Amino acid sequence: MQAFDALAPPFDRLSHDEAERLRQHADVGYFRPGERVVTQGRTSGFLHVLLKGTVEVRNGDGLLAVLRAGDTFDARAVVHGEAGEDFIAAEETLCVLLPRDDIIALVHSNAAFGAFFYAEVSQKLDALSARPGGDIADSVLSARVRDCRHAPAVFVDGSATMGATGRAMLDAGVDAAFVRDGERIGIVTGLKLTRALVIEGRPIETHVREIARFEVVSIEAEDRLADALLTMTRHNKRGIAVKDGDRFVGLLRDIDILGRFAGNSQLMPGRIARASCVDDLASVASDIAEQVELLYRQGVRADAIAEITSDLNHRLHARIFDLLAPASFRDASCLFLMGSEGRGEQIVRTDQDNGLLLTSAAPASDLDAFRFAFTAALERCGFPACPGNIMVRNPAWSRTLDSFLEQLRQWAFAGTPEAAMNIAIFADAAPAAGDFGLLSQAKAVLVDILRGETRLLAQLATLVNLAKNPGTGLLGTMLTSLRLRHDRIDLKREGIFPIVHGTRVLALEHGALAGSTSRRIKALAEHGALDARFGQELAGALQVFTSLRLRAQLEGAYRGNDNGSALDLGALTAIERDVLRDASRVVARFRELIGLRYGLASL
Amino acid sequence: MRRLVRRLYAQARLSDPAYRFLFDEPPHGEVVAIDCETTGLDPHVDEIIAIAAIRIRDDRILTSERFQAIARTSRKSSPEAIKVHQLLDRDIEQGRPIGELVPELLRFIGPRPVVGYYTAFDKSMISKYTKAYLGIPLPNEAIDISGMYYDLRYGHDWGHLTIDLSFRKIAHDLEIPMLPQHDAFNDALMTAMMYLQLRDMARRGVRIAA
Repeated sequence: MQAFDALAPPFDRLSHDEAERLRQHADVGYFRPGERVVTQGRTSGFLHVLLKGTVEVRNGDGLLAVLRAGDTFDARAVVHGEAGEDFIAAEETLCVLLPRDDIIALVHSNAAFGAFFYAEVSQKLDALSARPGGDIADSVLSARVRDCRHAPAVFVDGSATMGATGRAMLDAGVDAAFVRDGERIGIVTGLKLTRALVIEGRPIETHVREIARFEVVSIEAEDRLADALLTMTRHNKRGIAVKDGDRFVGLLRDIDILGRFAGNSQLMPGRIARASCVDDLASVASDIAEQVELLYRQGVRADAIAEITSDLNHRLHARIFDLLAPASFRDASCLFLMGSEGRGEQIVRTDQDNGLLLTSAAPASDLDAFRFAFTAALERCGFPACPGNIMVRNPAWSRTLDSFLEQLRQWAFAGTPEAAMNIAIFADAAPAAGDFGLLSQAKAVLVDILRGETRLLAQLATLVNLAKNPGTGLLGTMLTSLRLRHDRIDLKREGIFPIVHGTRVLALEHGALAGSTSRRIKALAEHGALDARFGQELAGALQVFTSLRLRAQLEGAYRGNDNGSALDLGALTAIERDVLRDASRVVARFRELIGLRYGLASL
Repeated sequence: MRRLVRRLYAQARLSDPAYRFLFDEPPHGEVVAIDCETTGLDPHVDEIIAIAAIRIRDDRILTSERFQAIARTSRKSSPEAIKVHQLLDRDIEQGRPIGELVPELLRFIGPRPVVGYYTAFDKSMISKYTKAYLGIPLPNEAIDISGMYYDLRYGHDWGHLTIDLSFRKIAHDLEIPMLPQHDAFNDALMTAMMYLQLRDMARRGVRIAA
């Protein structure tokens, strides 16, 4: 009998003999609809593997998750002797029953199997993200040459000098140029120019036709990258010409193909720095957005993708600022970013969240022109205007340091939900361009203002429940019907926001605002404001939600639906659901902790 | 009443008193799911080649306490039967003599009712041997899941043009996972799963929707 899938975690960690022995001891249990399979707080004599039917995971009235065939539960009840939740059959249900004693024995004798049961969320996540990168090579190599970024075709006349050719190549940023000589077309590379000049000692006035090569290896723009790679290999070339019909339209180099695999993140800072107008930056911005999927499919973890993407987006903002800021305040101001961008956690482009601090009053005409140009430039780069108007265009968010500090104090004094929200938003501000000292001063004042202001901190902390639907429990918002097949949860509302915001409030209280949520958690643990072990679990849980959200966003983009925060629970594998369950449990504990700390009633 | 008389008659004819336990009171809440694979469909000439039995106690299928055996037959399987049970002659040569298996099976089943799919067939196959060894047919009560299914699916209404009582159809309607079929153990296990669900649905008065 296939009592359990020996290829699925955690059973894939068992040896053949161990799996066989476990099978010999397995029974099958039938549970009628509504029957309690495992009771919260109690031990369980069996580890259950769901064969058919569905089992609901409940905490009081709250529905936390729905388990389906292949799911395993409840490790906690078996190993720790205490189930975290109630497990209740929702329909006619059959489970394989693996005796507790056998599982405990295996946990002790087989470390890899045991790790599954003892692992904290973050460790399980490593197992999850270690999945293979999929068929990336296939998809890259079947792409068309025309869709692969490559250098444009630059033409020089055969009578041009080597010097003029070199300058033309430098201006266009290419390392080879086409040479038109009467009817024939040849090619000359930077290497060839250098060799002619340095090794062969030719004068710099030499006509380029004398060193050009007139047998050009080329590929059609319609061909596949696999063919291009083959052509390069066959001719031992690192670059080949791209033809569209009988016209040469560009040069494709091996690193262009490589870039399709690895992303071009290492080239992007250079492209941002070289950009001479907003349009150049808009093209980089769309490449930054595109490489996210590439990195994801190669198995790069979501937090690493966020770090790369945020770094590039900071550079992009800084470059726009350099291009647009007038001399009157360019060096006497600080551009800062807020929201996920400020925390360095942005993966998919979101609404603008930015502001400007000035050392002293700037000429009104300069400032007004900049406000509109900056916001428009970002829109051009794919960052939509902020619906809440928290951006440079709004004078409330682009003003002198002194008047901004005054504003902060007013917010603190008012203590209204809007004011609390503004303070929370500003807590994430990170400098992007100009005089970073201005922002440091403002944030130091913010921490000062809040010191000992328990009422205000509590006001901020209540926002942690903002996204929570009353009465439905943690993940239960969408799971209203028992037999709902396609249950969805909102990862941002139910997972990311509570962790990010709770951490933000703690960080405000302890003056540990710098960096991403996971850095704040670490800093808080070092301050002793958060238990170090729980901090790790919290950071792990955040990563679970972020990874799953990224996947949902990428899949959403395919389906042309941009609400990528909603995750289809039915589409998850058993281990993913298991990990999500653990992560949700961590969020519930964190909400409780925030509630206790700031005296919030009725969490 | 007739059953009681038949039982008493059988008990009287039982030639080996060591098997009197077959007539004991069955342990409360216990039944045994059985399935036989045979050389063909005629109990008079065909023989059992594989047999599996699984005890069920209350809502639990005790797969960890199962009876499972392959018999060495004298008769060769018909080519059609080989296609069904997929046991080749050479597998069967490694089986054990049926004279050894049946006593073991009877001890495993004891006085418990037997559950099967068209149980009458399995029962008459087994009875063929018990008659020879003990002088009586298998005396245990027989429960047939095809009958249970019929009651819940068609029993309330005679207007059906076609009635499908196939094993596959029952498994499908009850959403029982399909294990590789015509392996005696898998068939017995699926039968046991169907039995528990049908029994529960009957108790709760839930019908199987068309």
